[in-house]
Amino acid sequence: MNANHFNILSNKIVFLMLTILPVGGGFVYAFLYSIGTIGILNNGFTLSHWVNVLTDTSFWFSLGYSFYIAIVSVSISILLALTIVLFWKKSLVSNNSIVSYLLYIPLCFPAIVVALFSFQVWSKSGLISRIVSHLGILTEITSFPDLTNDTYGFSILYSCILMITPFFAILFSNLYKQEQIDHLKNIAMSLGATKTQALFKIVLPVILKKAKITISLFIVFVMSSYEIPLLLGRQNPQMISVLAIQKLQRFNLNDIPQAYAIACLYMIFIGLILYFLFFSKSSTQLSVSPLKRNFDD
Amino acid sequence: MIRKALIPVFMLMVTFPIALLLLLSFGKSWVYPNIFPDQFTLQHWNDIYQINSELLMVTLKSIGISLGVSSVVTLLSFFSSKHISYSVYKSRWLFLAYIPYVFSPVILAATLQFYFTFVDVSGTFFGVILAQLFITYPFGVLIFSNFWNPRIKAIAELSNTLGGNSWITFYKVVLPLSKGVLLLCFFQVFLISWFEYGLTALIGVGKIKTLTLSVFQYIQEANIFLAALASCLLIIPPMILLYLNKRFIFTNQQTI
Repeated sequence: MNANHFNILSNKIVFLMLTILPVGGGFVYAFLYSIGTIGILNNGFTLSHWVNVLTDTSFWFSLGYSFYIAIVSVSISILLALTIVLFWKKSLVSNNSIVSYLLYIPLCFPAIVVALFSFQVWSKSGLISRIVSHLGILTEITSFPDLTNDTYGFSILYSCILMITPFFAILFSNLYKQEQIDHLKNIAMSLGATKTQALFKIVLPVILKKAKITISLFIVFVMSSYEIPLLLGRQNPQMISVLAIQKLQRFNLNDIPQAYAIACLYMIFIGLILYFLFFSKSSTQLSVSPLKRNFDD
Repeated sequence: MIRKALIPVFMLMVTFPIALLLLLSFGKSWVYPNIFPDQFTLQHWNDIYQINSELLMVTLKSIGISLGVSSVVTLLSFFSSKHISYSVYKSRWLFLAYIPYVFSPVILAATLQFYFTFVDVSGTFFGVILAQLFITYPFGVLIFSNFWNPRIKAIAELSNTLGGNSWITFYKVVLPLSKGVLLLCFFQVFLISWFEYGLTALIGVGKIKTLTLSVFQYIQEANIFLAALASCLLIIPPMILLYLNKRFIFTNQQTI
């Protein structure tokens, strides 16, 4: 083996040790724990924990609730980001304008800070409640609606939108430039298309088609959110990461195998989505964003 | 005209969270229904500069962890990514890198907690850095996978053909070309590590306290003023980095 082969091999071993080994090792441990093979109170092989999780409505509610939060927040963010990009496209394309600088500011906020900010704005004793009270609309603090730790996840949605919109706006403005959409639009209009037709037949389809993989990844990232629902969510329904971790950290040791079964299901679910995104015929180069970590820390 | 007029409104919306958190960080009491805190104090900010200040120590520790993680990841992933990007099975290797990238770090940490306890690195500085490597290293590989393209390979091969050995090719040709992407990776990984909460909380088991953990602790203690102060400390470094990132790296990348 020459030095070059050794170099390639050692780098690939480092890669496998830092990527697949932790995920694989974690999955094996979680799976063995969930089927009762290892663990403090486990007495041998059993599928009862998996049956409990799969027949428990709280797991399915949690999955559905996570999906609802992800779809709603990503959809609203796309609409807002498209509005920002189309409204300020000239400023954003120039890349040195004040708008393009402003879009980067929210990227500096970790999820926990956004969650704290949302709580200080929307809680019963928050800023909005105080302003409404000063305006004389509110007679007492309890009359203010529940906008944090509420069933519909209002403040979770607000926080997610606050974090995703700037990222999508930056992504869309880059795509607008890369795909020379202005040029395409001008050609369409010189061939007789109206402004509305150019928008709905050229601009939006090109941007959304190019961004569809990133949008799909963001749905997965938001579904895995942890800190935001931990601070702003409620006990029931919970988002999937919060449900798994709370089951793991409860005093009831019998909940631990169920937590690991949920973790396994989550891992399988993410693996399948990623496989589909990566190897589907229409898949293009996936993009990476540090913002993702803001969600599911 | 309307576009220009709306820019200040947009600016206000974007900077409002910073303004509110800054205001609260100077607050002492905020009785309902007052819109602004009733009393202001410089004490919280002054306390940071005390030698034994807990927040100062936590900030320094967070900086240490983030600098350590970003340095190691930038170095390791730069070379790993080269061999992966030039591999015949590039897409399969990149798929493997995407798995930990897409995963929820907190769930990954939950499944790894046993191993960290077993090798006795749970609750240690090293343990937290190692755990953060698992989520940031794949990210680094993915960033560099765009850099190691056929053009860079062709330039390196040209240098070899013209008589440069592998060290000269790397030092005089590849490294100058990669300065921008190296800095980009370093900054981005620093941010990921700086923002990290769930994984650090589980692997650090409360012994390794970072700024994100402090924010959460202050919120649980219902001390919104210190939570706001810790939040301000969390926002400042990313703002400086993103400014440098946007001002220098993006501009450089456009000229490469």
